[in-house]
Amino acid sequence: MKRVVMKFGGTSVGNGEHIRHVASLISNHLNKDYQMVVVISALKRVTDKLIEASKEAKSGNRDHVHKLLQKTTKKHVAAARNAIKNKQIRDEVEQTLKTILDELEKVLTGIIYLGELTPKSKDYVLSFGERMSTLIVWGALRDLGLNVQYFTGKDAGIVTDSNFGEARPLIKVTLHEVKQKVEPLLEKGIIPVVTGYIAANQDGEITTLGRGGSDYTATIIAAALEADEVWIWTDVDGLMTSDPKIVPSTKVISELSFQEAIELAIFGAKAMHPKALEPAMEKEVPVRIRNTFNPQSLGTLIVKEQKIKAKDVVKGTTIIKNLALINISGAGMVGTPGTAAKVFDMLGKNNINVLMISQSASEANISFILHRDGLERAVSTLEIALLGSGLIREVTAEDDVCVVAVVGAGMKGTPGVAARLFGAIARKGLNVRMIAQGSSELNISFVVKETDGEKAVRAIHEEFKL
Amino acid sequence: MRIILIGYGVVGQSLTQIFTQRRAELIKNYGFHPRVVAIVDRRGAAVNPKGLNLEKTLSLKAERNTVAAHHERGHPGMSALNVIENVDAETIVEATPTNIKDGEPGLSHIKTALKTGKHVVTTNKGPLALALPVLTELANYNKAYLKFSGTVGGGTPVLDLAKRCLMGDRILSIRGILNGTTNYILTEMDGRHITFEEALNNAQKLGYAEANPSMDVDGLDAACKLVIMANWIMNKRVTLKDVSIQGIRNVTLQALKEAAKRDCTIKLIGSINEKLKVAPTEISKQDPLCVGGVLNAVTFVSEFAGEETIVGRGAGGMETASAILRDLLDIKQNLATRLMS
Repeated sequence: MKRVVMKFGGTSVGNGEHIRHVASLISNHLNKDYQMVVVISALKRVTDKLIEASKEAKSGNRDHVHKLLQKTTKKHVAAARNAIKNKQIRDEVEQTLKTILDELEKVLTGIIYLGELTPKSKDYVLSFGERMSTLIVWGALRDLGLNVQYFTGKDAGIVTDSNFGEARPLIKVTLHEVKQKVEPLLEKGIIPVVTGYIAANQDGEITTLGRGGSDYTATIIAAALEADEVWIWTDVDGLMTSDPKIVPSTKVISELSFQEAIELAIFGAKAMHPKALEPAMEKEVPVRIRNTFNPQSLGTLIVKEQKIKAKDVVKGTTIIKNLALINISGAGMVGTPGTAAKVFDMLGKNNINVLMISQSASEANISFILHRDGLERAVSTLEIALLGSGLIREVTAEDDVCVVAVVGAGMKGTPGVAARLFGAIARKGLNVRMIAQGSSELNISFVVKETDGEKAVRAIHEEFKL
Repeated sequence: MRIILIGYGVVGQSLTQIFTQRRAELIKNYGFHPRVVAIVDRRGAAVNPKGLNLEKTLSLKAERNTVAAHHERGHPGMSALNVIENVDAETIVEATPTNIKDGEPGLSHIKTALKTGKHVVTTNKGPLALALPVLTELANYNKAYLKFSGTVGGGTPVLDLAKRCLMGDRILSIRGILNGTTNYILTEMDGRHITFEEALNNAQKLGYAEANPSMDVDGLDAACKLVIMANWIMNKRVTLKDVSIQGIRNVTLQALKEAAKRDCTIKLIGSINEKLKVAPTEISKQDPLCVGGVLNAVTFVSEFAGEETIVGRGAGGMETASAILRDLLDIKQNLATRLMS
């Protein structure tokens, strides 16, 4: 008996046909002696519509809210009709959907009257997406004769703090509660179907888990049940060695470590949010990323530690665009303790987020990377604060750079990786503006002109035969 | 520092000239790197978040009479309020013409800027004369600086002398010649024995007086400056309607002759004691206040330091622009301290 937590993303449950397909996927595994928990995201684009509706409600646009409600109703009713064949089950689901949608309408009307949208009420509005999608999947599974039970994240026992919009679980409480509430069902052969993304604080008020939402729900439940694996069903075959739009020959990474996955995620690969990997990493539950529409493929497996083969030192490479580089220079910084601290403290206090930093040993200049849309404000703030202080002479900026990140645990302790990497870049005639490598040696990131970014990724792909 | 410049007349253009001519010096000596991210004139705006090329905007203004004609950065018809609300900047410089009826459009420009957290440097007397207490409260509440050195004395640091150099002392009263145009007219009448009309005519020919000289000769300009000084220096919460105002239209050659016999002359004097007053007043030719031509002069009577008189040119594009620059440098230094603390 294998215990698996499966999460299906918004595209996987995009419409009624897809939901039916998902239900049969689940049903197939049941026959293979699996214990399963199913976690469901909102239907594709529904969360965006709910955000829109809550904003429109806040601005008092009654008509627009009404239209969005109608669209949402139509979408879910259609999905239920296509996903569920049995009339009795379908009627029951439709009836419940109507009750839920009535509640949503009331909430939005309340927001229209108050003209106020607090993070708490916004979370409440957003929770409707998963409540409705999960209900439909629950119906589709019953339609196939499966023994299922519907849970909201709150009912399943996920307890969070009250940081609405980006709530963190009280992890010990949550693991305990989820185990108590969900495990007995598995023993009885029942499949719990759980809303992703939503939870509740200790007073029972609805919260959402923020970025990484439904994946996070899945890994929390897997950790609580000490599951054998978490399967994240999505619309791609797994984590790729690079962006297929840049490198046509890009391949699925069959196996990598949690650390590598986190590095890739931080550097913008279409992967899981690092936060969502935490519970699985903690309890050493392997995570598999699979394609709903290509279930034969085994996808990418993320495990605690992976045997490193000599030839694959580099796992993948990603590119982050829309960045800018700022360079501050001046002899005044040389040997002045605390200069860098002052600079970055000041930037932090002014909400300017820095992605990458490098300072030469001469200390005469510091370069760093930030998002392009904050460039002008950052330059102006730095000039106002630092020019004329004797510390720096000038602030210069380049707004056409990108970061290329190369990730792989095999780089650790393998001499000559950097030489191979930058040799390959140099042979293409690309100029590297900045380099950073953490002492973990898990990743090397460097900065090139934005127009050179894709060429650099292709060069790395070639060199390391990804 | 990112700056939005509202109003691109003589003063605004002079300011951008100083920025282009003194660029290296401003960075080296004051750590001040002005980036003018938007300029608005009567016909539209030019906007560049990285900073406009000021040589280009100056030549556009000279040749096409509007910065909105900028082929890639121009926005014909774009309003100042739109720019203030939507363009990111630390500071706006408000240099539109003075209107003492309702202070507009300058008043709205300043209010909007303060509400959006932008610091304000202005040379526009109208909004200040009508609503300085209001604007001060708004600035404090939004933690923004409101500076207006250029409104009194042009480039001559009249306000700063009183506010900074006499710090700690108590200023008991102020009197001064606050309007260059009227001072020129009175000096001409007295020295060359010509009538008010003739002298006014000369002043208009020389560009010292406007076609409609009412603001100057009826004492309104001097009264505005008096209100600003009373609020800023002496903490009196007063506006233009609290000033008793009399212009120079009725000053006769006869009266000047009579005064001359006593080694005196008649000047348009603005004074702050218990009351605020602008009126033609006889003063001794030996009084340090007694300056000729277009000069301005202000005497502060302080409790400990006694009397101090500051004399200088009270108007002019470059002169007033230099006052704006002082205010901008002051804001930059204050912000630097705030940022690094």
